[in-house]
Amino acid sequence: MIWLPLYGLFYAAATLYWARLSARENGDYQSFFSAAHGLPPWISALVLAGASISGWAVLVGAEEIGRNGFGLAAVLQAGVALALPGVIFFKRIWLLGRHLRISSLPELFRAYWQSEFLTAFTAIVAVLFAVAFAGLQLSALSKLLARLSDGALSPEIAATLLGLLLFGYVVIGGMRAIGYLGALQALLAGAALIGLAAFSLISIGGASALNAGLLRLAADPATAGRFLVSGVVHFTAGVGKQAAAGHEGTALASLSFALALMGLQASPMVMKVVLSTSSPRGFAAGQTWVMAGAFGAMFVFCMAVIGAGELIDPALGLAGLLTGLSSWFSAWLLIGLLAGVQLMAGLALLSAGESLVRNIYKPLFHSQLSRRDTVTLTRVLIGLLVVATVLMQVLTPVTLSMLAALALPLSFQLWTPLLGMTWLRWITRPAVVTGVGFGAAAVLLTEPFGISLLSYLGLDLPWGRNPWTIHSAAWGMATNVAVTLLVSAFTQRRGFGEAAEEARRFLFDELRGSARVRALRSTAWSVSLAWVFLAIGPGLVFGNYAFIDAGGRWVLGLPSLWGWALSMWVAGLGLVWFLSYKMEMASPPAVDVPSYTPRPKLRTSQIEAERERRRNFIITIAVGFSLAVVAALSFGQP
Amino acid sequence: MKQTGSSIERSILIFAIWAVLGFLGLGVFLEGMKTDIWLVSACGVSVIVLAFVAHITVNGVFDTGFSAGETSLGLGAYGVLGFVFVVSAAGGSLTMADYYSGLTLFGVLAAGFLAYLFTRHGLRGAFSRFHVKPMDKREASL
Repeated sequence: MIWLPLYGLFYAAATLYWARLSARENGDYQSFFSAAHGLPPWISALVLAGASISGWAVLVGAEEIGRNGFGLAAVLQAGVALALPGVIFFKRIWLLGRHLRISSLPELFRAYWQSEFLTAFTAIVAVLFAVAFAGLQLSALSKLLARLSDGALSPEIAATLLGLLLFGYVVIGGMRAIGYLGALQALLAGAALIGLAAFSLISIGGASALNAGLLRLAADPATAGRFLVSGVVHFTAGVGKQAAAGHEGTALASLSFALALMGLQASPMVMKVVLSTSSPRGFAAGQTWVMAGAFGAMFVFCMAVIGAGELIDPALGLAGLLTGLSSWFSAWLLIGLLAGVQLMAGLALLSAGESLVRNIYKPLFHSQLSRRDTVTLTRVLIGLLVVATVLMQVLTPVTLSMLAALALPLSFQLWTPLLGMTWLRWITRPAVVTGVGFGAAAVLLTEPFGISLLSYLGLDLPWGRNPWTIHSAAWGMATNVAVTLLVSAFTQRRGFGEAAEEARRFLFDELRGSARVRALRSTAWSVSLAWVFLAIGPGLVFGNYAFIDAGGRWVLGLPSLWGWALSMWVAGLGLVWFLSYKMEMASPPAVDVPSYTPRPKLRTSQIEAERERRRNFIITIAVGFSLAVVAALSFGQP
Repeated sequence: MKQTGSSIERSILIFAIWAVLGFLGLGVFLEGMKTDIWLVSACGVSVIVLAFVAHITVNGVFDTGFSAGETSLGLGAYGVLGFVFVVSAAGGSLTMADYYSGLTLFGVLAAGFLAYLFTRHGLRGAFSRFHVKPMDKREASL
């Protein structure tokens, strides 16, 4: 087994080479956080797509199909579902960031919404992605690495090694290393996904054997349900409380899952890449041809083939597939998967470290911190986050899994402040803050973490995970939108801060849209809603039998739902192209972006106020902890 | 030496090409040797040739040639692999399929290398790349 260490060494050497190169470009710390806003657009496009695919496509997407079949059909539309938020937000967020000279999402929220709650909430989401979401994927890879090393490495040692490598290149090269290396990692991850699909197909015996195997499963009444969406919705109490009739893969389960995926594109780590990009020229092409096109094709073809292979023969799951290959191929594919996960993990770590130090600690508790010390402190914190995630992978995998499940739905709650900044000018500050707060509460109440926490404190909720087969992201957003609408209606007279007023004026003046765009607006709404309805919404039930003839045969030679997904992917690609270019939602703006300079203000010493904040913070932590202990002792279950 | 923006972008592309196509080609080539099927090895060689074509295309886009590091790494790897092949062939541990696979790899790479030199620099220019003139004659020709 020489190939795995050999390829691993090559990967580590390449990683550290790019980290060193980036550190020199950075001047050590000068442009550590944002690569001097100079990432080339094509690199950003690849990094955004690679961070979205990460290890998720194989570790979660293919696994879902392999275990439960095609019922959760929205998984196959991940490419388009991930591209749509990019089309909606990236261009406008980039313009706002450039105009206000801001380089991270928490900072943007503070400037625009003047809300410490939103800033802290965004930082928490960033930490969840860095520690839990990335940690869960790294944990799966560590186990795989241990298995492929024939016992030479234990999962714990593998997790530590992966953590060390991650820590090394993030703290040395910062955002620039993540960008440069990310382009390479995205291509490696894509190649690994294609390679795995090819080997899965070869192992099964070719396309005809794959279809014959699927046909055999579809003919068996015990497994026929794996090729169907089991209705629009099931009014069950949720996983762990009441099983759904048939299976959990309803149309609303698909829709809400797709919404959760869309949370990824609103996350602080993805916005970090957007705000570090040198020009918005690549957003339209990136979202259309890279994300929805190339990576969308990988989801709908490659991920589906890997999943279908496992569905036919459970021994052809990822681990089985890799152990059955020659060692040079399994090593190459594993490095590809590792590259995808490390891309996302590195980005998440940098964004979490920056959020906590540069966006929370420095402005609130230590404004005198120099730039060099800010970078140093961020590096230390990134190290602590890596230690935390490795320890959680080894010691508390269940908690890690529960926390990881919170990342996407909580991130999706950031849609309302993002929409308020970019499109919906009538959303007010109190509405956004209250909406996000209620949305987060709804997510917690429908996720195992919140349910377990309340159960530990003696409060058993009458529902489990995904009540009514609807993902927590949708429960959170329903609450979030309802509260935001209601509060906005009553607080329309409240004004905005100076930076927000300037940002609103700038966007309104510069991006009014041509007469042609205004004329196409109703068409855009119609086709978008139609696609959402048919591809990831209730219309998925049509896909159950759309490509089955009167004799019960598959017209396309593959399951009807898979054929439906293929046609909807083509339609989705057209939709993304139409919105990006024809509606000018992501196309490059033909405007200069002047930098906004706030009016000079008399600065007063913050030392006393910061000391007071630090004291209050420590007291709050102590009181909170004491209250939690008292509550647990009083009401907690033994 | 500090790299410029475009040279960094070129380097990223070169890394990506060899990480994806180079290692894939190597894997397919080794698979052919393992299964004793020359055709599979030849497919691996084709993928490696494809990687070279992509590398040269990127060089063309960025209006540059192979860097000194790339040249030395390529020639070094060729030399080491060639040495291993000769030793293995001399030791008699290669099957006929392995033998032909090796010959295909080294033959195609050598032919490709010469073709690249001739098309890029011309016959005389390609010779001049290796013909180091003595200092006094170099000065006389100026």
